[in-house]
Amino acid sequence: MLTYVIRRILLLIPMLLTISFLVYTALELTPGDAVSALINPELASRLTEAQFYELRESYGLNKSFITRYGIWLGNVMQGNFGHSLAGGVPISTIFLDRLPATLELSLVALFFSTVLGCILGTYSALKRGSITDSSLTVIGMVGVSIPEFFFGLVALLIFALNLGWLPVGGRLLPGYETIWDRIPHIVMPAMVLSLMMTAGVMRYARSSMLDALTRDFITTARSKGLPEWRINLLHGFRVALTPVVVLIGFRLPVLIGGSVIIEQVFQWPGLGNEFIGAVRGSDYPLVMMIALFSVFTVLMASLIIDVLTALIDPRVRLS
Amino acid sequence: MTSRSLNKKFDKILAREEAGQLSSKGGSRALKKLFNNRLAVVGILLFAIILLTAIFAPLITDADPLKIDLRNLSKPPTAEHWFGTDKTGRDILARVLYGGRVSILVGLGSGIISAIIGVLIGAYTGYKGGWPDIIALRVSELFMSFPQIILVLLLVSIIGQSLINLMIIFVLTGWGGMYRMTRARMLSLREEEYVQALRSFGLSTASICYKHILPNALGPIMVNITLSTAAFILAEAGLSFLGLGVPASIPTWGNILNVAQEIRVLQNFWWMWLPVGLVICLFVLSVNFIGDGLRDATDPSQQG
Repeated sequence: MLTYVIRRILLLIPMLLTISFLVYTALELTPGDAVSALINPELASRLTEAQFYELRESYGLNKSFITRYGIWLGNVMQGNFGHSLAGGVPISTIFLDRLPATLELSLVALFFSTVLGCILGTYSALKRGSITDSSLTVIGMVGVSIPEFFFGLVALLIFALNLGWLPVGGRLLPGYETIWDRIPHIVMPAMVLSLMMTAGVMRYARSSMLDALTRDFITTARSKGLPEWRINLLHGFRVALTPVVVLIGFRLPVLIGGSVIIEQVFQWPGLGNEFIGAVRGSDYPLVMMIALFSVFTVLMASLIIDVLTALIDPRVRLS
Repeated sequence: MTSRSLNKKFDKILAREEAGQLSSKGGSRALKKLFNNRLAVVGILLFAIILLTAIFAPLITDADPLKIDLRNLSKPPTAEHWFGTDKTGRDILARVLYGGRVSILVGLGSGIISAIIGVLIGAYTGYKGGWPDIIALRVSELFMSFPQIILVLLLVSIIGQSLINLMIIFVLTGWGGMYRMTRARMLSLREEEYVQALRSFGLSTASICYKHILPNALGPIMVNITLSTAAFILAEAGLSFLGLGVPASIPTWGNILNVAQEIRVLQNFWWMWLPVGLVICLFVLSVNFIGDGLRDATDPSQQG
């Protein structure tokens, strides 16, 4: 097991190095060099030309490309992500500020879409060929065909503007910080994001459940005379669940992508919202760092999932 | 007992096939199955209607999608302007029709180009193996470890906004899926006996993999093209909605929807965003229906 984990991590390192190298090259090619971005602009404004030059040199600006990359990578690994071009705020501060909001939204959406998708998918598989099954399949296809922002806009129009039940956007109003003030704000973005993701989970859960129901142990269970609900839920669903859990991890990129646009529609102050602002304002250091961070998250998630699958299924780690 | 009757049945089919009675129908079997699928037929009809109205836009409306009319600002639908006019008095129906041309071009065009690139690389490296295969695999992994929209926006910020750039970006981010699928098919097909026979005849690698093996992977490729087309149309709409896709001067479905970011427009001028949003949904849905139908029709495990 340990060798499997180590081998898996060793495969991950060259990937991360290559991507960080590409990001660094892009930073060097875009206006404003990567090394200057590491220096606090407030400090830089107080320095004389010569002092600033000296400081840049201490970060290795006059050294070769590879050395500069090494210095930059060292800084990034110690948490100095550089400074945003807009306002000169350290990028790590922006992360600390915005990440909780994105995590809050994504985790709520992940939870609801998984629960709803599994229930509907399993039900659909058990009622295979019925009207409920085929209408759920069609509804799922309609679901993946609606642009998420359009769905968000319609929800915004109905529930916030016409009915006035929920706030139009944002996460918190200053001064209102109890949980009851927060819930109305998250309901719409989280529900829109979860419903958009439910379709995929449902489809996968359905086929996984159908697959599980054809296995021999289901026939055995039935021949023992177990009640049908016990066969379906305790024997079938448990086996069908494993691939679904794996899928959830691989849906992380979709979740990140979806939340970028949904955050914009509902003015949710998360990392995705910040990313769009940075792309609009050509704030290259911030754009690159958020992109690098998202790749890191995705690769880490896939590592964790691989290890978990290997723990559950010994065939994986032996192959 | 059953196995013998099954054998008999199979012998009959084999005899008919050898007599050439079955092969004439073989090519159309997938098509026939496709047309028997009700949802796929609905999809094909919807797809054709939207595509044709976009192509023949000048026959449907005389209005110019770019002409600003200051006497007709933000007018709701009338007999003259079926979909109403926008904030600068431009006819929305004309914008939806002409915008459809660009949106469909971006979606279908990027879908097909990324399929061609992915298939060409995947078929060759998958068949050859060795270091070209390893390099292609690593490069595709590199592209696919980014969440797609993050990579698209990152590239937009580096190379800038234009119609061509957007298509290039879509192809760059989209070829990986097709490459992976073709490669996987190739890896299993290259061990088939007929491939060994071709190799022993001394046929060139390119001829074997593109002319003899590739047609056997055509079904999944077609399905994949429909799926990526749907994804690219949604991506174009999303990016243009954010103002980061096709430049705002060119009407596209996403650019028309851009105005809905304003709460005032969202609440009071439904005709500026609702019809075009529904058109996007219908078009993507039609593509998905076709893709699903193709999957069922070309899946050999469901043949019969």
